[in-house]
Amino acid sequence: MRMQLGRQLLDRQIVDRDGRLVGKVDDVEFGVDADGVPYVAALLTGQGALGQRIGGRIGRLLVAVADRFTEERAVTPLRIPYRLVERVDSAVRLRACLGDLPASPVEQWLRRHLIDRIPGADRAGG
Amino acid sequence: MRKLLAATLGVLSAVGGFVDIGDLVAASQAGARFGMAHAWVLLLGVMGICAYAEMAGRVAAVSGRAVFDLVRERLGPRVALLNLVASYLVTVLTLAAELGGVGLALQLASGLSYLLWVPVAAAAVWLVLWRMRFQLMERVFGLAGLALVGFAVALFWLPTDWAALGRSAAHGGAAGQGWGAYWFVAVALFASTVSPYEVFFFSSGGVEERWSAADLADARSSVLIGFPVGGFLALSLIATAAVVYHPGGPSPDSLAQVAQPAVLAFGAAGLAVATLAFFAVTFGAALETGLSAAYAAAQYFGWQWGKWVSPREAARFHSVLLVSVLLGMLVLLTTVNPVTLTEYMLVLSAVVLPLTYLPILIVANDRTYLGDRVNGPLANLLGVVFLLVIVVASVAAVPLAVVTGMGR
Repeated sequence: MRMQLGRQLLDRQIVDRDGRLVGKVDDVEFGVDADGVPYVAALLTGQGALGQRIGGRIGRLLVAVADRFTEERAVTPLRIPYRLVERVDSAVRLRACLGDLPASPVEQWLRRHLIDRIPGADRAGG
Repeated sequence: MRKLLAATLGVLSAVGGFVDIGDLVAASQAGARFGMAHAWVLLLGVMGICAYAEMAGRVAAVSGRAVFDLVRERLGPRVALLNLVASYLVTVLTLAAELGGVGLALQLASGLSYLLWVPVAAAAVWLVLWRMRFQLMERVFGLAGLALVGFAVALFWLPTDWAALGRSAAHGGAAGQGWGAYWFVAVALFASTVSPYEVFFFSSGGVEERWSAADLADARSSVLIGFPVGGFLALSLIATAAVVYHPGGPSPDSLAQVAQPAVLAFGAAGLAVATLAFFAVTFGAALETGLSAAYAAAQYFGWQWGKWVSPREAARFHSVLLVSVLLGMLVLLTTVNPVTLTEYMLVLSAVVLPLTYLPILIVANDRTYLGDRVNGPLANLLGVVFLLVIVVASVAAVPLAVVTGMGR
């Protein structure tokens, strides 16, 4: 499949099977097949990956903010193998659902330390 | 019948959502100082926001994505980040001004200082955002905001000289206050009419309500009817202020003075209606700006957002929402005068206008998202002309503010 990475893949919203928002395609990881041809092996998503891609002072700031809101020492980007991608249209649609993917560390941190402590956090407003 | 009712409610909430603290301040100051001379600005603004909100609604309905979700794909992560930071700051400042408006409305009703009410208002705004259903929230405050109709009715009770109003709308000018001040007020009124958060909110709201291509007609009618009616309400604010204060009267610098025309016409009942209207439109706009700030951040980073999932499933979104409301409250607790804050907020809004509107025009022409529902020639013509006006207003805003000393 031919695809312009910059125009059609990078920075696009990733959506799971049920329409939940997973993240943006903040970066991609390449692999090389047996014939030496490079291919997109995985999508990387997370503020850390974005910060590293932007680079410079702003990029470092993004990484630092993400690091502050995680349990682990350094936040690693979420890696989504490309075989989980069902199709790419106005968003990148996965065949997996959000629960099967590793959760975002920042989301988990804020959930545990802030949002879950407020009554009514598990009730959707609709 | 139910569909018709839903469509009507959609229109009405667009009406209420159109007017906010910026309109209350800018419209009555324009009327008091320059009569109806700025009516054309309002007309232009309403046409522009109709054109752009229609585009934003179409993008949301067809692609299922909010416009600002798409900004990063088209502008790249760096430029979009700059856009996010600028839009976020202005939106939070607007939120602060709206919270101040809620406080002032409650001060009018109770006599207690607005500063006491601001924390209460902030807590109430946050609670509504945390618990209330999206549609219900839109409708309650949209409908209550219609109490502003009281100002239009007041025109018939006041000794209105309709011919003079018409003359100043058609041939009005600087009215002896200087053209610098005239254009400054024009830019502020324009910015209040096309506030960036309105399209922000409108397009994300479309996604919240799960619009599809089948809802396009409804979305269009709520824009094309609702916003002009909202514009009409703002126009009646200009007109009543013109009748009561112009020429020679003071420029309203408190909500009590903005309410004065209704009080002169209907006495205590007028004050009650005006206070209810001020409360509803500022509270509703505080909800919209709070959500818009969090939408912007979540949509840039790709986080789960929206009120259709529980807060714990959108922890980052709700954290930003909470922080934004707190920031807005803190701005006010510096005891800055909310009306002055609104004036500065309008200048900054004018500066960042192109950041909001240019991406909409780009995305609305992109076949990857819209297929054959991209802009037609008319929409593009309107879009481009309006974008030029926006760029001029944006470039002129700060120089005008400096030269005229905030329009004095």
